[in-house]
Amino acid sequence: MNKKLLPYLILAGSLIFVAIFAEFLTPFDPYVQDLEGALTPPNSVNLLGTDRYGRDVLSRVIMGSQTTLCAALLLLLTISVVGSLIGAICGFSGGKLDTILMRISDIFLAFPQMVFAVAAAGALGGGLFNAALALAVIGWTKYARISRGLALTIRNLPYIDAAKMAGTTSAGILFCHVLPNIAGPILVTAALDIGTIIMELAGLSFLGLGAQPPTAEWGAMMNNGRSMLQTASWVILAPGFAIFLTVAIFNLLGDKLRDVLDTKNKL
Amino acid sequence: MQKKLLAAILSTGILFTGCGNGGGNNQAAEDKTTFTYGTVAYGVAMENVGTNPHESYSGWSCIRYGIGETLFKFNEQMQLEPWIAESFEQMDDFTIQIKIKDNVVFSNGKKVDGAAVKKCLEHLIENHDRAPHDLKIDSIAAVGQYVTIHSTEKLPALLNYLSDPYGCIIDVESGFDDGIVIGTGPYKAVDVSDTEIELAKNENYWGEVKPKLEKIFIKSITDGDTLTMAMQNGELDAVQGLPYSSLQLFQNDKYKLSQVDTSRVYQAAFNFYTPALQDLNVRKAISMAIDKENFTKVLLSGNGTPAVGPFPANLTFGGNAVTAVSYDLEGAKKLLAESGWIDSDGDGYVDKDGKNLELRYLTYTSRQELPLLAESAQANLKLIGIDLKVNATDNYKTFLKNGEYDIFSKAIVTAPTGDPEYYFTSHIIDGAVDNAGNYNNYYVNQYENELHNTFGAAERSALAVKMTQYILDDCALFYASNLKMSFVMKPNVEGFTAHPSDYYEIRPELEKK
Amino acid sequence: MRKYIFERLIQLVPILFGITFLTFAMMQFSAIDAVDFMYEHSGSVSDAVKAAKRAELGLDEPFIVQYGNWLTGVLTGDMGRSFISGKLVFETFAEKLPATFQLMTVSILLTIFIATPLGIISAVNQNKFIDYAIRFFSFVGNSLPNFFVGLLLIYFLALKLNLLPIIGDNIIMPALTLTIAMGAKYTRQIRAVVLEELEKPYVIGARSRGVSEFTILTKSVLPSALIMIITLLALSIGNLLGGTVIVETIFMWDGVGKMAIDAILMRDYPLIQAYVVWMAIIYVLVNLTADLLYKFLDPRVRYE
Repeated sequence: MNKKLLPYLILAGSLIFVAIFAEFLTPFDPYVQDLEGALTPPNSVNLLGTDRYGRDVLSRVIMGSQTTLCAALLLLLTISVVGSLIGAICGFSGGKLDTILMRISDIFLAFPQMVFAVAAAGALGGGLFNAALALAVIGWTKYARISRGLALTIRNLPYIDAAKMAGTTSAGILFCHVLPNIAGPILVTAALDIGTIIMELAGLSFLGLGAQPPTAEWGAMMNNGRSMLQTASWVILAPGFAIFLTVAIFNLLGDKLRDVLDTKNKL
Repeated sequence: MQKKLLAAILSTGILFTGCGNGGGNNQAAEDKTTFTYGTVAYGVAMENVGTNPHESYSGWSCIRYGIGETLFKFNEQMQLEPWIAESFEQMDDFTIQIKIKDNVVFSNGKKVDGAAVKKCLEHLIENHDRAPHDLKIDSIAAVGQYVTIHSTEKLPALLNYLSDPYGCIIDVESGFDDGIVIGTGPYKAVDVSDTEIELAKNENYWGEVKPKLEKIFIKSITDGDTLTMAMQNGELDAVQGLPYSSLQLFQNDKYKLSQVDTSRVYQAAFNFYTPALQDLNVRKAISMAIDKENFTKVLLSGNGTPAVGPFPANLTFGGNAVTAVSYDLEGAKKLLAESGWIDSDGDGYVDKDGKNLELRYLTYTSRQELPLLAESAQANLKLIGIDLKVNATDNYKTFLKNGEYDIFSKAIVTAPTGDPEYYFTSHIIDGAVDNAGNYNNYYVNQYENELHNTFGAAERSALAVKMTQYILDDCALFYASNLKMSFVMKPNVEGFTAHPSDYYEIRPELEKK
Repeated sequence: MRKYIFERLIQLVPILFGITFLTFAMMQFSAIDAVDFMYEHSGSVSDAVKAAKRAELGLDEPFIVQYGNWLTGVLTGDMGRSFISGKLVFETFAEKLPATFQLMTVSILLTIFIATPLGIISAVNQNKFIDYAIRFFSFVGNSLPNFFVGLLLIYFLALKLNLLPIIGDNIIMPALTLTIAMGAKYTRQIRAVVLEELEKPYVIGARSRGVSEFTILTKSVLPSALIMIITLLALSIGNLLGGTVIVETIFMWDGVGKMAIDAILMRDYPLIQAYVVWMAIIYVLVNLTADLLYKFLDPRVRYE
């Protein structure tokens, strides 16, 4: 493992660790209300204070990492895998299939992602799943384009011909030769994309179109706290900085990953 | 290089200042004859744009902003007093004669006589959607300053209905162009749009107290935070509808506050078609698990009163005239256990026959307090082992229509005309349009028939108390809180007070010192 | 060139079909019946009346016919009436669009004026303090969600410093919010382009010939940065269109983004439809224009 990458991997890894084990890490139950203790400023018991229902903000921020991060990573995994597969198949096989699938992706690509997501979430009704779905519908196209471009280049390389002559099936070539070569650039793109996706999901929740109350989710927490910016700023600042830190860490990781894999020229 | 950069930076700076309207944001404060008022209550979503009382809810805008006046008005106790009318006489069960004051004139100088009132009311029942149904007018006759109204059926609440904002007396002949009507109020509309109304002083105002301001701007600011900050920034003279969480910012000597109890109540109806809710113990347990005190104190920041029944304490049939179950989580658990709802599998939720007690709670978000009530109810019911699935959507009417709910929570003005009957006929009796709980109590239905034929405020009030008590004993609905209405204003604003009816906002007494 | 433009326009046709079809289909997913919704406030209306209204509006036709009718409407600017206000959808949309364009234009201009000098300064002073400072800030700007930036701006500029009015048409805060994220990204990329350019042989050659740094920057580096900026702009229009939704909502900026959110809250489907379809069309056209401009500006790119 590259030394330059290690610290960022550790940071990102610990974020994911927190997200996965959030239930066990929260000092209080993030959903239990205590109206008597509502809007307590940060103190030694509630390190980040409490919200308007008296729920512990720190616990909700920790729990929110699970909601936000898991949703973002799952979404990313889905669109990058599906997108690259489609792209690779298109690029590798060419012909009518390629034309049709690429025309379809052109159509999706024609929608600004957030615009589509807002409208789709509006039509389907709120909910984190619907919000993620709406982002996915547009999101896969990017990966399809990149992997198709790469597959086109790889297709014409001599060793593919060699593999064909050796009697490897098309599927075999796709999985053994094409996809592994695409993986690097896709990984970099995905790493750089995490931050954007987190911000978009949180943005939809902030607009009330994503995660619904009482779910602990950073964007939704900020939306619920909006009117308390002046009276209880911790309610907004805590999830706000949580988003910032997470996005920053993944952006750093993506940058370094790109430097290490040096895929700039291939992209 | 550096010069170039400097130029670039400078031009950015110019762009900055060029685009803004500058920092002069305290104009509102300087001029003592202009009043700028920000409100969340005006707009397309509220169906009250324009000032034409004969259209949808626009009458509210007509009466609130001092453009129109009704024949009678409500006092602080929500009892009727003459306004444009001088007096009335109940001729028989179906006929009432109203005498119009001799000195009332429209803002265009035209005298208000019986004929003008007749024309206005006839135009109202021809064009309005709710008025004909409420007023049940058979015929109107006008002689001099007298108007005689004949009803199709006995209608004890006729004068109350005539005092609804749609009953503003306007000069029909002057037309309704651009949402502007000619009324008799202290101010007249000059310019009306979906987001703003500009008012000018009515030089012909008939009342004893003459209007004091030259210009008033009613600005629709539907975003609570924008409203808060605009008020803090000094851009507005007064505001209505601040988010509760920001009210505390104005509870100091830099601002004045006027608050009043209204008959708007947050209620939730239990759906009697849901098998689990047909059990009184379950309904009672849920009602006992609602922490009204803290909901009002914390989530409404004290801008309300914990409700007993649907009507507030300033009405004779409201407040403690009735009794309801009180907050008691242990008692609630016992009631559930009595009915066999026990957490036998240890998952934190009570169950019976292997099924958890799971209820669908339907509400909407356009009233900011409803989601708060929902979230607090959800957390509290979890404490007694009930799994509440909250569905807060502005698309709630679809769910209502399909019966996809077990509890439906809403905000409602229970006595818009100071009379209790409307609430029962619309929400409580069997078959009522808004009887979301499908509640059907024989005695309540019978008493409603009696109420419908009873004249006299005291008698009607006594009946209303009896009926309300039935509802509360049945735990057919629970009532969380009666809302307080708050105006926040600069300290130099005088004569701007919140009224329990929510009708009269701009009055001739309004001035800036 | 003309042939190329023509080809691109032809390619647009299936895309536009796809956009409109997808939008229309999406709204059909929603469970709301337009006619029920219209009569919601009119008390009890008989099913016969509703059926008649449905027939009048063509809502009883098969899906594909309805789509055809709607598409004709989109093309002729007749997209029906809003469920809520009863006003013509296209009129409402057209009325709000200029505000959104204004916001976008100002944000883009601000971005260019801020990011270009910063990117160049950063590159020229590579690995010096100022470079690190600029990179740090652009990194921070890049990692902040715009709704958080917006709230922070409100808090500091309007409330703590009392610099700007809250109501009224003040464009500074919404534009600044959009600029911060976009500017951060541009600064990084302009820096990268300039760095790359500065290492090219012709620059080194020019230097050795004694050409001043200033001339090198203005004559050689800036033009290539310009192409980069145009590419970036085209790419970021999509983000910007999305960003305006959030920013307009926070700052009550009366543009199409806020209109869309209001429409969603009230389930005003005709307005949402108009919003998606027109935003997509605008986006496609902007991309096309940028593409052509790109080819026009950069002689190295061949018309295929």
